[in-house]
Parts: sequence; C-alpha cells; structure tokens
Amino acid sequence: MRAGPSQEDIRRHNLGTLLRHVHLGGPISRAELTSRMGLNRSTIMALTSDLTAAGLVREELPRETGRAGRPSLVVRPESARVYVFAFDVGPDRLAVARVGLGGVILDRRESVRRRGPFDLTELTGELAAAARQMRRKARHDAVCVGAGAAVSGGVRRSDGVIRFGPNLHADEAPFGEALGRRLAFGLPVSVGNDANLAALAEHSRGVGVGVRDLVYLHGDVGVGGGIIAGGHLLGGHDGYGGEIGHMVINPGGGQCACGSRGCLEAEVGERALLEAAGRSPEEGHQGRDAVRNVVDAADRGDIVAQEALRQVGDWLGLGVANLVNLFNPEMVIFGGMLREVYLGSAAQVRSRMAVSALAPQREKLRLRTSALADDATLVGAAELAFAHVLADPLEVLARAGG
Amino acid sequence: MTTPLLEVRGLDKSFGPVQVLHDVAFSAYAGEVTALVGDNGAGKSTLVKCVGGIHPVDAGRILFDGDDVQVSTPRDAGALGIEIVYQDLALCDNLDIVQNMFLGRERRSGLVLDEATMEEMAERTLSGLSVRSVKSIRQQVASLSGGQRQTVAIAKAVLWNSRVVILDEPTAALGVAQTAQVLELVRRLADQGLAVVLISHNMNDVFAVSDRIAALYLGRMAAQVRTADVTHAQVVELITSGRSGELGIAP
Repeated sequence: MRAGPSQEDIRRHNLGTLLRHVHLGGPISRAELTSRMGLNRSTIMALTSDLTAAGLVREELPRETGRAGRPSLVVRPESARVYVFAFDVGPDRLAVARVGLGGVILDRRESVRRRGPFDLTELTGELAAAARQMRRKARHDAVCVGAGAAVSGGVRRSDGVIRFGPNLHADEAPFGEALGRRLAFGLPVSVGNDANLAALAEHSRGVGVGVRDLVYLHGDVGVGGGIIAGGHLLGGHDGYGGEIGHMVINPGGGQCACGSRGCLEAEVGERALLEAAGRSPEEGHQGRDAVRNVVDAADRGDIVAQEALRQVGDWLGLGVANLVNLFNPEMVIFGGMLREVYLGSAAQVRSRMAVSALAPQREKLRLRTSALADDATLVGAAELAFAHVLADPLEVLARAGG
Repeated sequence: MTTPLLEVRGLDKSFGPVQVLHDVAFSAYAGEVTALVGDNGAGKSTLVKCVGGIHPVDAGRILFDGDDVQVSTPRDAGALGIEIVYQDLALCDNLDIVQNMFLGRERRSGLVLDEATMEEMAERTLSGLSVRSVKSIRQQVASLSGGQRQTVAIAKAVLWNSRVVILDEPTAALGVAQTAQVLELVRRLADQGLAVVLISHNMNDVFAVSDRIAALYLGRMAAQVRTADVTHAQVVELITSGRSGELGIAP
C-alpha cells in the first residue's frame, strides 16, 4: 500500500506554492497569501520564516495600506540575491541573462549570430564566457540556483539534446550537457524548445496570465509554437509536441527546411514573406528588420509588399483556423515576427478564420500579440530554470551553496 | 445577451437642410473594442460628436448602462465616463505630460496645485497601461514622437475613471512600429474592462483589435456585426455599398 504524503512532502509543497505566488505575482502581504493559499495565518508565518531564513524572500512593512489596524507584512522575493541564468539560442541571436527570483532581468547580453554551420563547442563557449562574466559582476552574496536554455529546435526533454534544428543547422547536438560542462557551475542546464518556453512565459507573465487554454505562435526564421491546454503545455510523449510550424497546410506548396513541403513555416515564415515581396533573402537582407521593412512598405502603399502580406496572412489564417478547430483555445498569441505579420495582415488572417474555423470555436476566441515581445523566449528559459527551485526551494538552495 | 454600456437608438441629426444621420443605432460593450467604419462623410465623426455632447441630436435616445441619459454638453459626457480622443489629440506642446493629462481639471490642495498627487496619478495610469515608451512624465509634449503623443492622449482619457473611450483614427499618422504599440494599447484598454470605440479606415487595424464592427453608409447604420463572423470583403462591401449578401440595408 502506498502511504499518503508525509509531513515533509506537504511542507515542501507549501513552500514551493508560497514561493511561486511571490515569484510570479510580486510582493504580496501575508494576509493575502493566507487567503490565496487557503492556509491559516500561523502556517503562512512558519512558511515565510523558513523561506526568509533560507534567504529566498524578505518581509517588510508595507508603505501604506489605507486600512485601519496593524498592517500585514509584505513578502518580497530576494531578486538580487537568488538568480538563474537564462540562455536563448535563435537563428540570428544569442542572448544570456541573469534573472532574479521574481523574474527581474538583472543583467543581459545579446549578440548577433551569423547563420551558418552549427558549432557546438564555439556556441557553448561563447554562452558560458558571457555567463561567467556576469557572475563575476554579481553581488558577492548572490546565489545561482539554476540555468535554462531556449533553443530554436526540437529538444529531447530528458537530456537536452537538440534532435533537429533546421534553422540552426543543428542535428543531434548534446547541447544541454555541453553547456553545463562549459559553465562548470555544478548545475545542470535545462533545455527546451524556444517557442514552447515562450508560450509558457506568456502564460505565466505575459498576455496569457490566467488563461488556461491558449495557443502561442512564434515567428522567427521558422515558425514554432506552444499549446497550453488546461493550464499545461502539451509536450507529447517525448517533448517534441507543439511543432505548429510543421503542420502541412498547403500540400505541394513551398519547400520547407524540414524536408517536407507546404508546412505553415514554409508558407508564412520569413523566407516566404521576403520571397513573396520580391526581396532576395540574402545575408544582410533577412531577419526581423527585413520582415519589418515589408510591413512598413505595405503600410506606405507598396502594392507588392501588400500582396505578399495578404498571401502570408491568408495562410496564417488557415493555420490558426485549424488550431482553433482542434484545441478550442481561449486565446491565440502571435509572438516574434508574427506579431508584425499579424498586425499587418489581420484583415486576411481573420477573414480566412471566419470562413475556415468553426463558429462555436471562434465565438469567444481572443487574438492577441505577445506582451513580452522579444524577451518571451528568454523569460521562458528563466522560468524553466526556476521550475526546480519552486519544486523544492530549500533543497535547491542548500545544494547551490546558499 | 449583455446590455451594451453605450447604446444609441434612432438617432437623427441634420445640419440645416442636410440630414447627416438617419435613424442610427449603435452599441458598444464593456471589455470590447467596437470598430466604427465608413467612408468619408458617412457620419462617423458626427455620430461620435453627438455621443460626446458636442452636437445636440434632433431625435433619438442615448442609453448608458441601459438607462436613458441626456448628453447635452461635453461635461455631461465626461460625467458619465465617456471620453473622446480626437485626431488632433488636443495636447499642448509647451506643457509636460502631467500638465497635459490634467489640463483644465488640475488637482488642488488649498490654493496651490497638488503636483505630487497629479504626478502619482499620471504615473500610475501610464504604468497601468503598460506604457514604457515615455522616459519621464515631466517631459514636454513637444519632445514626444507621434506614437507617444497618441499614448499620452489616450492615457489622459482613461485617467478619469472613464468607461467608454472613443478614439478617432488613432493610428492615422503613425509608422508601423508606433501603430503596433497604439493598437496593443487600444486592446489593453478593452481588456481592462472599458468599452472602446475605434474609428479607423485601416482594415488591418480594425481586424487586428476589434470584437465588433459597425459600418455606417451615407448616414445609416448598414450593419453591426461580430468581427469573427465577417470577412474583409464583406466589410468593404458594407462600407462602399451599404450591403453585402444578407447583411446591410435592405434594398
């Protein structure tokens, strides 16, 4: 017979839950925690003092409450003290950030990545060097409790191997292990698909807060996505799920980097838009700026650019209509360069949806653009790193040497 | 069916011999963006000015939260919580953001202006709208870009616990990046529970943020539809000919 949760399990769970409230919701009074967590005041007090003693939170008197009586202490995350490293590896961009508990970006560095062959040693070396520099600049009592990376490609959940990354030109690359070794912080690096992580970031800190069912579409060179159903990311059996960009919407359509034809990515990705707009996608004329230029030109009346956006918007609408029919989300979020594409072609996108999506599914659907914008993937990587801390705050901190 | 926050029924308005609005019905709902579209001269601005208390109406009713109301002056509209942001924005270049937001409605403590409170309220409103594009709220409006000005004008409108915000072509003179920011701001206003009316000629803007579309054609309301149920082509037809298939004014 399996025993019920032990006293210790319950305490660990409660500590994690309390820390999650503070981490995601920001400073919060003990009284508010009492009502949100449904625990009594003395339990909340015991939990906060444990977390305070561990240096994860601190308690302060509020400035003014506007209410009579003794004010309840406000619990704040120790953002400057407890932090994680977040990495973002996109086709055109490398980013490293030191992110404090509570989601505060304390320090960040970005560099341009040249599209070319994938060199694991060089890549992890560059990322690790940046992280080590940031670590030296951190406060002397600061503790690094985790590391997470968002990668533009399909990642095996168990060991952080990039199984396929056509836009990074990566194939079976043991990225998580290599980066962990180069960092030499004694911490494992959790790795996830960038669009999946951006979806989680929008769900926990962006436009999708409180929305249990959402679909996030992320446009970069390719198109990725994340489906959150009932509050959980759909990862599938091995964690490769949610590859919205490789949903075939136009059989016999454009050639996709994945080897297939007519994938959503092949019809609405960067290359499709630039080609339709008659712009040669050569070095220097690609990336976010090139996409913005097309949207800008369309706005100024360039009919070729307008037609390109119409075409791309139509395919995008078809893709979203399929997703809406399948998952009945409450919200669809357009992130990355799809934010600009959606705003520049919304008439087409929604016209197509009005025709192709089922009426009950689209009735209450909300279409939104990403609130975290270019930071979505990085914020998602940080949240992935914090997940361990929230699961068992004291243990993780003890291991990290706090 | 929820009650519209702002509803207009049977509105007639003439300027001398010219009848500009014929029996117009219009509804705007809390938490939604209602796009008001129509060709030049269809009566969009006149309708908005009637609701805003600038033009007296000849006939018809205005209902606010289900109750009949009289809106004879802009002050009446303001008291109900109806704010209009006009195309020219009506901001003073030589004043800073806080001064503009409180222009004509300054807070006083005793005989002097209560700068601290005004600053705090302005700050809170801008951050509540997730506006991060302005550096300092004590910046002169003359130094702001077009998009930032639009943002200040919108923030000014929502400062007063307004419940209905009407925006007249807020993206007309803006570049793509600023248009995106303003559209996202428009969407956030509605997501925070306001009823937003967006007048626009740009169909992408209309489809990007609206929940409903109301199309005026030669002073008549051709149709009020849910954005999710119509196509671009149908809306264009409603605007240019007043009807589209089953929708629109009966021939």
